[in-house]
Amino acid sequence: MAGEESAEPGRTGEESPARTGEESAEPARAVKPGTGGVAVKAGRHREATLYHALHGAGAGDGRSLAQLREAALAAYESLELPVWRRSGFWTTSFESLDLDALEVRHHSPGPEAIPAVVTETLPERERAGRIVQVDGSVVAVELSPGLAERGVILCSLQDAAREHPELFAQWYSRRLVYDRNKLEAANAAFWTGGAFLHVPAGLAVAEPFEIVYAIAEAGTAQYGRTLIVGERASDFRVHEYDLAGDVEGQALSANAFELYLQDGARCRLAQVQDFSGGSGNASAEVFDASTRFVQVGRDAYCHWLPALLGGHLVRQHLELAVSEPGGDMAFRGIFFAEAQEVLDVFAVDLHETGPSGGDVHWRGAATGQSRASFEGLIQIDPGAQQTHTYLQIHSLMLSPKARIDAIPSVLVSADDVSASHGGTVGELDEDLIFYMQSRGLDRASAVRVIVEGFFEPLVSQLQDEPLEEVVRGKLAAKLAAARGDIEAYATSR
Amino acid sequence: MADLEIRNLHVRIEEREILRGVDLSIDRGEVHALMGPNGSGKSTLANTLLGHPGYEVTEGAIIFKGEDITEAEPHERAKAGLFLAFQYPVSIPGVSVANFLRMAINAKREDPIQVKEFRNELQHAIELLDVDRSFTSRHLNEGFSGGEKKRAEILQMAMLKPDVAILDETDSGLDIDALRTVAEGVDKLHSEQGLGALIITHYQRILHYIKPQFVHIMLDGRIVLEGGVELVERLEREGYDEIRREFGAEPAAAGSQ
Repeated sequence: MAGEESAEPGRTGEESPARTGEESAEPARAVKPGTGGVAVKAGRHREATLYHALHGAGAGDGRSLAQLREAALAAYESLELPVWRRSGFWTTSFESLDLDALEVRHHSPGPEAIPAVVTETLPERERAGRIVQVDGSVVAVELSPGLAERGVILCSLQDAAREHPELFAQWYSRRLVYDRNKLEAANAAFWTGGAFLHVPAGLAVAEPFEIVYAIAEAGTAQYGRTLIVGERASDFRVHEYDLAGDVEGQALSANAFELYLQDGARCRLAQVQDFSGGSGNASAEVFDASTRFVQVGRDAYCHWLPALLGGHLVRQHLELAVSEPGGDMAFRGIFFAEAQEVLDVFAVDLHETGPSGGDVHWRGAATGQSRASFEGLIQIDPGAQQTHTYLQIHSLMLSPKARIDAIPSVLVSADDVSASHGGTVGELDEDLIFYMQSRGLDRASAVRVIVEGFFEPLVSQLQDEPLEEVVRGKLAAKLAAARGDIEAYATSR
Repeated sequence: MADLEIRNLHVRIEEREILRGVDLSIDRGEVHALMGPNGSGKSTLANTLLGHPGYEVTEGAIIFKGEDITEAEPHERAKAGLFLAFQYPVSIPGVSVANFLRMAINAKREDPIQVKEFRNELQHAIELLDVDRSFTSRHLNEGFSGGEKKRAEILQMAMLKPDVAILDETDSGLDIDALRTVAEGVDKLHSEQGLGALIITHYQRILHYIKPQFVHIMLDGRIVLEGGVELVERLEREGYDEIRREFGAEPAAAGSQ
């Protein structure tokens, strides 16, 4: 791509940030300000400097679910709607959300409760199981009978609290917190339905478990909550879908997600998030404030690929932690912002012990007047020796009014490690378009080829043909909707 | 009327006039060589013929098969049967040679090409260009050597079957074996498909393998001398300086176009 700002690995060996704020971009050592009463001036920091690894507020501290909900409610009432600021040039504010006007809506279970967007989006395929939550209610749960016999549990989280109290007490909210912001507190206090998946030790399941959260109508607040535990040496796939129908007006998705992989467990986790409500529907205003945490245990492995494909205002905190020696992970991500959408991602690659491996690779594009801000953080804690990790962020601007800020941060507190980052910021390359046009492709086709090629290295890593087709199809539809912008882009240059 | 007629073509890049009245006619089945020193305007002509948006035609016209294509979009020119083998082919990340070829072929057709027909044609082109089968599953030009890029250009030409092809310094950066393969490929397409070709080159060596019927010498944005293959021999003997003296052209503009 044209307009490279910094190096790809192996090209020049140079490491520099895609965009710097006030601070030095050099890999920092033992930097963890914000503690000990050090005031951090608003708008003069990266998120990395304020970051604390999620430390848990549930499992093992003796409190019941009712007590945790009560504590979260107190936090909810004392907190304001969240505003995130980043390096003085980026603000994500949920202040325009009329939270009091939203309500948790419930539906009776059954296939008629499943909105069209779910049946139209999910592929026809073999699956290990599926759980569907619409607005506030779980309306469908299916689990392959063979897997149930072998001890797999797939049910709503509400049911899990009642029917599997020991597992629930052991894992629920082990690392998620409720007191950082109002919407996380709201989830912890008000969550309904939810999904619980428990894969027993040694079991390998080839087909995916599908977890679906759908918003059917405006005026809804959805507080979905997922808890997944992969026991020792289990091996499975999870595909989460976060979707909205053609809503007119405000709705909220404030989801919480936690996945714990025990010794030697392996999981391929993918997430298709699209709250655009049909591309180009400007009146759909789905706000998404989600927190997701994945913990990789001893010699365990997680491949996590969120595809964040839209929403009026999206803020996701995504954290992948290697917490036992020998853990390894690949953290991939795709984002695509269109029209007036605003997307804010904070993705953390956390190494709590070593030896451990990490490989973070994100790609994002923006059309229309959308704005996207991605901050990727590598944090290596004291003692996490022999950790090797790399973070790369590539972005592609498809409209003169779109904007993407990509900020890599590295906080290292161990000395026998390698941690670095790189990335590119690209625009549409007119020479590349001309080349393809000279072979007979029209401009729109040439742009489609460029964008598909840009995302393909990650899409193909889903290693699941039906899911890959869902993501490719969504990207193509968004690109088709932005055709006017892309034409305008050419004439503006 | 010839298939491709270039009439009094004047072209500007930003504020600088590069071509200053070029006339040239090419028919199917003819091989023309366009020679000239660096900066004389050869690549500008090639890019202008395919409609690169950075080149502005200020005067004159390009007529292809009787249609004025001076203002046509690049893909329309390609569909009409023009082809440019690039001097510096760009890479297309994430798209294999075979997939790109399929897209390009289908862009010209009403119905997509049958899998079997495509495979047969690809096999034929692979043999013609002496490339490995695995070549076509690699991403187009990504990590290709200079020679592989040039072969990929000619492979595309063989598959797309244009009526007139412009080969912009296809010989540059090739070792002698690669040069021979590429030249033999072009020669075969010329004899098999009746390809008309404009071979743009700085040197004479490619013309040892492909014999042009017509040779044009370009200096400072104009064609100053035309003739047969004997012009190549004269150039080899005298160099461009002698021709420059004879035709009184100004010293070469700085930089290559």
